[in-house]
Amino acid sequence: MLPSGCRLLSTVHSVLMDVIPEESEHQDFSRESITMEAYNVVPEPGGRTFQRFSVNTNESLRFEPCEESCPSPTGAEHGPDDVFEKGEYENEIVSIRNQLQGKVAEMENFAGHLEEIFLTVEENFGRQEQHLEQHYNDVLHTLSQRYDEGATGLQEEKKSKLESLYSQLLVCGQALDASKELIEMAQEIYRCQDKRFFLKTVMPIIKRVEEFAKEDIDLTLSTSLEFSTPLADLSDVKTMMDSINVVPAPSAPVINPQLPNSATQTSLHVCWSLFSDDTVEYYELYYRPVLEDMPADSTCAPQESKVKVKETHCTVTDLLPNAQYELWVMATNTTGISPASEKALYMTVPSPPVIKQRECSSCPEAALIRWESGNTNPVDSYTVELSEMGTVGTESNITESIVAVPTCQCLIQLQTGRQYLISVRAVNIGGPSDSSDAITISTTGTFFYLLEDTAHPCLSMSEDGFTIFYGDEEFPITAMAFEDNTFTRCVAILGDLIPVRGRHYWEVEVDNETEFRIGVAYEETERDSYLGANSSSWCMRHIRTPSRHKYEFLHNGWSPDLRITVHPVRIGVALDYDRGTLSFFNANLEQHLHTFHCRFQNDVHPCFSLDNPGALTVYNGIAARDYTFI
Amino acid sequence: MFLPSSTASHYRPGLRFCVLLKIKKSSRSVRLELRRGRLCDVTTLNYRRSLLLLPRKLANPALCKPSDLLRSAMALTQVSSNKCAGGFQKVYEHDSSELKCKMKFAIYLPPKAETDKCPVFYWLSGLTCTEQNFITKAGSQLAAAEHGIIIVAPDTSPRGCNIEGEDESWDFGTGAGFYVDATQDPWKTNYRMYSYVTEELPKLINANFPTDPDRMSISGHSMGGHGALICALKNPGRYKAVSAFAPICNPMQCPWGQKAFSGYLGADRSTWEAYDATVLAGSYSGPQLDILIDQGRDDQFLSASQLLPDNLIAVCSEKKIPVVFRLQPGYDHSYFFIYSFMNDHIKHHAKYLNA
Repeated sequence: MLPSGCRLLSTVHSVLMDVIPEESEHQDFSRESITMEAYNVVPEPGGRTFQRFSVNTNESLRFEPCEESCPSPTGAEHGPDDVFEKGEYENEIVSIRNQLQGKVAEMENFAGHLEEIFLTVEENFGRQEQHLEQHYNDVLHTLSQRYDEGATGLQEEKKSKLESLYSQLLVCGQALDASKELIEMAQEIYRCQDKRFFLKTVMPIIKRVEEFAKEDIDLTLSTSLEFSTPLADLSDVKTMMDSINVVPAPSAPVINPQLPNSATQTSLHVCWSLFSDDTVEYYELYYRPVLEDMPADSTCAPQESKVKVKETHCTVTDLLPNAQYELWVMATNTTGISPASEKALYMTVPSPPVIKQRECSSCPEAALIRWESGNTNPVDSYTVELSEMGTVGTESNITESIVAVPTCQCLIQLQTGRQYLISVRAVNIGGPSDSSDAITISTTGTFFYLLEDTAHPCLSMSEDGFTIFYGDEEFPITAMAFEDNTFTRCVAILGDLIPVRGRHYWEVEVDNETEFRIGVAYEETERDSYLGANSSSWCMRHIRTPSRHKYEFLHNGWSPDLRITVHPVRIGVALDYDRGTLSFFNANLEQHLHTFHCRFQNDVHPCFSLDNPGALTVYNGIAARDYTFI
Repeated sequence: MFLPSSTASHYRPGLRFCVLLKIKKSSRSVRLELRRGRLCDVTTLNYRRSLLLLPRKLANPALCKPSDLLRSAMALTQVSSNKCAGGFQKVYEHDSSELKCKMKFAIYLPPKAETDKCPVFYWLSGLTCTEQNFITKAGSQLAAAEHGIIIVAPDTSPRGCNIEGEDESWDFGTGAGFYVDATQDPWKTNYRMYSYVTEELPKLINANFPTDPDRMSISGHSMGGHGALICALKNPGRYKAVSAFAPICNPMQCPWGQKAFSGYLGADRSTWEAYDATVLAGSYSGPQLDILIDQGRDDQFLSASQLLPDNLIAVCSEKKIPVVFRLQPGYDHSYFFIYSFMNDHIKHHAKYLNA
């Protein structure tokens, strides 16, 4: 911080230099104003007040706004003074006043700045002092450690020397004793009168004495009297002393965890901070994507990219959505580069999902929305937003949000007879994605699309998905691609009815000749059987003979015997789960044709089939007529 | 109610508000007493009896004109009244101007009739029936109560006219009026069931009961089915709905019809056409009909070619008259069959009557 400190001081200095002449100017002006005040106050009945400057006080410069009672040019209210003279002075005064005001504002700002600067200087000084103290403390600490080590070393040496000398002493003592004993023995023998005994023992004694005489007495000291002092290794202390004078390389920065809502689909906003008060010239931010399945060898490791920034934050752009990135920072100054910070994992926001229009269905009380994730990797959850459309068709604000939707579909409760706009966002740690394209849902009547993957191969569908055709061409069986879910015998298709067990109504349009079966069936109805021929489907069947029309209402292969005199071309189908009824109507005549009574165990789907080449069209999203649910 | 303590002694619990109304009616006075909010008739002896017979509309003087009181007091006599399905099954007797004799009819008043005007469903019974069969055997009252419909069931022929030969057969004469206006002697004076059902009876009902005169429908069984069909076909737009149980669809071609028509209408078959549903359907023009017909498959008269529904169906198919004809397996000609499908028929009628 020293260089910056110096800079600040110089700034202060220069400002102070500037201040002084200005101050004097101020004083001049104030003197002028005072005199003018004195001049003008006397003949002035109107009471125009001038600014007052608290020039010689310690108060911060304050001025009251001038009252806007400008004198009229005619000077009717004024005394007999010369108008022009007064006008001159007025202009001058006004301009001077404005200048003074400006200067005062500057001064205030400057004073504020100065305060800040003083504080910063104090801070810097404090930090430097601390730093120094620490450094020297370290050095002292190290030195004392060395001293202790040296001292203990010496002590130990002394001890070992003393021990060896002592042992030597012992040995000498023993030798002395032994020789003394020998001599006494020899003397005893010599004094012995018994000649025979003397002769017996004299030879070994003489031998021993001879041996003893041959022995060399080692009289050298086992150890030296000098102490060897090892050279104290003070190299590291030296480096420490040196480093006091050198600006250290910065320590590793600390990278912050991801802030919520700071990421977008293609960018991340990363922040970090310095752990200590290092001086740093610039930072380098490294990042690389984290791939799910990384092979063991690092040759295929993803490319790491680098950004050089001077601030402690950075927005990294050009990233992939819904991807995890590893980021770390290194700080650099004149001395060197810091070690890398800890690696932080950031995640970009996912791409918006895509609502699957053809898989959404609705009924007067609810809607079922399905969508595609829009991201290759999984996201945490989805948020569904819906808003009710006003009567004019304008959008209102978001009225409801459903969060933490775990899968790519959602069943939403709605009010009858309204129109809604529904959109979806994908959510992960990085935040929510942009809103998907909205879908319009109308809660008038029941609305559904046909399930294309259940269609018999001979059935083709119109562009809008509501008319099915059974063509005239004969398809060879082998050419037909049967999937698991398609009807194989009955040329039929199911509808994707919303799984809400309430009342549903739809209409089917046919022509005079179409041979059809329409009704409902369980989702798992046998695909290799005809509609109405089993216990999992109920349908109305029309058979055309050359002479007349025949009608059957089939379930489990059985039908009541009915005659209908006017062929219905628009058939209304009404399903009521609560009452367990399925009714058919001639919608054009409002004529009831037949009602099945059955407690539907599971959810049913509308079913449609053509027994002979022809076409039929489904109409839904129609509010049920009054008579349908009597 | 908070009362100041000083006046508490003046009031007793169970306060009764008495309102005295005096209405002078041909030297008899009527005193009406309001007891705890309920209107209660208190009259002198003769008047009480006739007033009690009248529906609420008449008991409340605000609702009827003086001429009504006079006429109706002499026209209808209640024969019986039973509470049924929350409403009342009643039987009345009156002097018929068309039939020149006393005639009875049954009327079911649903709970809704106490407060509102209701539509009327006319039921025409079959051979040998009176007004009793339907009300005791058909099980119509619950559905009528649910949909708020008045059901009127007249007798099947004039009674006690002392015409020679009227009681000889069960399918001609008494109990076998065939809903025609006879032109031949000795039947032409009394046997005018068509006019009775289409003119006199509705007027009588509308004058005496809380009905909506614009909303009526007609149905029947066997001979009554024939009657219902021809009334609807001959009066386009008059009946809001029509249905039938095992009707005689083509009387000109079946033994029953031929016997009856030759007796009532004479040998000229062209006069029969005006009372044959199949013929009338062929020349019908008017508001769209929606006819519901139920027929028991095991009906002996079907196999005896008395009913001939196929003829009617063929004509209706050609003329695009909407008919739903249901052949019910196992069912015969009896009231058990009628009972089984009466709900469906009343629902069919309710759709149009309550629309």
